[in-house]
Amino acid sequence: MNNIALGRYLPLDSCIHRLDPRAKIIALILMMVAIFLPAGWIGYALLGCAVLCLTVLAKLKMNFLWRSMKPMMFMLVFLLIINLFMLQNGTILFEIGSFPIYSDAVFQTLYITVRLMLMIILTTVLTATTKPLDLTLGIEHLLSPFKVIHLPAHEIAMMISIALRFIPTLIEETQRIMKAQASRGVDMEEGKLKEKIMSILSLIVPLFVSAFQHADDLANAMEARGYVPDRTRTRYKQLHMHIGDYVIFAICFLILGGLLVFLWI
Amino acid sequence: MPITFQKLTHEYNAGTPFSYLALDHIDLNLQEGKITAIIGETGSGKSTLVQHLNALLLPTEGSLKILDREISASEKPKHLKSLRKHVGLVFQFPEYQLFEETIAKDIAFGPKNFGASEEEALQRAKDVITLVGLDESYLERSPFELSGGQKRRVAIAGILAMDPDILVLDEPAAGLDPQGAKEMMELFVRLHTEFHKTIFIVTHDMEHVLRYCDEVVVMDHGHVKTTCSVSSFFQDPSILKEMGIHPPAVVSLRESLREVGFEIDASILTMEQLAQAVAKEVGHHE
Ligand SMILES: Nc1ncnc2c1ncn2[C@@H]1O[C@H](COP(=O)(O)OP(=O)(O)O)[C@@H](O)[C@H]1O
Ligand SMILES: [Mg+2]
Repeated sequence: MNNIALGRYLPLDSCIHRLDPRAKIIALILMMVAIFLPAGWIGYALLGCAVLCLTVLAKLKMNFLWRSMKPMMFMLVFLLIINLFMLQNGTILFEIGSFPIYSDAVFQTLYITVRLMLMIILTTVLTATTKPLDLTLGIEHLLSPFKVIHLPAHEIAMMISIALRFIPTLIEETQRIMKAQASRGVDMEEGKLKEKIMSILSLIVPLFVSAFQHADDLANAMEARGYVPDRTRTRYKQLHMHIGDYVIFAICFLILGGLLVFLWI
Repeated sequence: MPITFQKLTHEYNAGTPFSYLALDHIDLNLQEGKITAIIGETGSGKSTLVQHLNALLLPTEGSLKILDREISASEKPKHLKSLRKHVGLVFQFPEYQLFEETIAKDIAFGPKNFGASEEEALQRAKDVITLVGLDESYLERSPFELSGGQKRRVAIAGILAMDPDILVLDEPAAGLDPQGAKEMMELFVRLHTEFHKTIFIVTHDMEHVLRYCDEVVVMDHGHVKTTCSVSSFFQDPSILKEMGIHPPAVVSLRESLREVGFEIDASILTMEQLAQAVAKEVGHHE
């Protein structure tokens, strides 16, 4: 469980790491839109190249990206099976037994796979190159214009950063409780259904107890230091956009624009 | 039969950028039938070491012989559950592992997992709850309404109920008041003398090591620095000084007296003996 890659920050030094979090978030959104355009294979090849360049620039290893995608594999297999049954158009590629496999089903799944992979890689690049706190700071800045419609931008950012802060803690706690219960003879893999349910309970209950405990402690600690959400606060960390950030915008707009023009024609 | 570590290495997150060598080729012999203290700075690998004793962590290199089992990095071990029945491990802050509605059920959870029937397991719960210093009226209460120290007793009872031959405790007295810590240590001594359990205790308290333990293992940055009997460990305080460990009161008093010229035997380890030796010295000079 310790080698979860999805959402993990990698403390490397690259030009992508140094970009402004706001720029990275907006760039991610633009690229997501681009991914969802029905751009055809040429479009995806283009996007794929762009994403590849990005990961190289961010100094991320293929291995790391692969591990962040692994959790999705199950979903993709599931999707393929559903598609095989539901989509019975196009030409028959081949038959397994007497069950025909249609080209549409395969292509549709491939399409979704490529989209999902690109999305996961992009998100991984964002989270791997941006410290969680910078990320939430960026989100808060980007949401602040919506304060006029009473969107609690600061509270949302605070909630996200607390959630992010506690993910490793909860993972650690889960491991510890699993080990403690394994010492008491819990076997997560073997056993009858009733035993399995008990073993899950023996994990979940202490986990919830400690999560509530953490929440309570944190709330008290914040209150004791006079935290009031809707007060204006100054910041130690100030965000500044640099040339690199504008370059990223430009590239993203070019890609998105290019694809749109391509589709138009 | 001794417990033998052979070139045992444990690397956390091996093969990732987050890898960390917590135990580095440990060679160690631990005797059964003793109370052994495992000491060392925070982060020196004590918890990692003891978690190998019931195979919660597996060596990434080397091997470990315990009871009649051999656990080695080269082959994937099977039937770890049978080992865990015989080696009970109490984690640091074990109060976090409680989850049942009643204390009786929580204590009975371990024995039931190892194949005891419902009645047997509840009988075991009754037996051990008094052992850890709570009375039977607690059995039907919820574990979540106890104080921290009481919760810890219940958690330890949960391991004792499995009746392991070897009991491993990771900082069992951490965060307890001095009286609670003393009672805790006395419980372990009793388990050792009355029930002949082999006991390993990770601790930071040198007074406890001196008073209650037989053997000591000193960990330092993933290595075993020394392993010897408690009496010889406190005879030569130079190791203590070198490692920045604060010696027990008797030992530091003895050493200060020796420094100012008292001729006192370095093997003295109790206040009574020390007082007698001082009286004798003073008598000589009068
Ligand atoms: N689950 C883990 N993942 C990565 N590193 C760990 C893990 N557990 C412990 N470590 C590291 O291993 C070293 C030894 O830890 P530990 O055995 O808990 O020491 P001790 O119990 O002596 O304080 C520490 O530096 C710690 O940071
Ligand atoms: Mg420890």
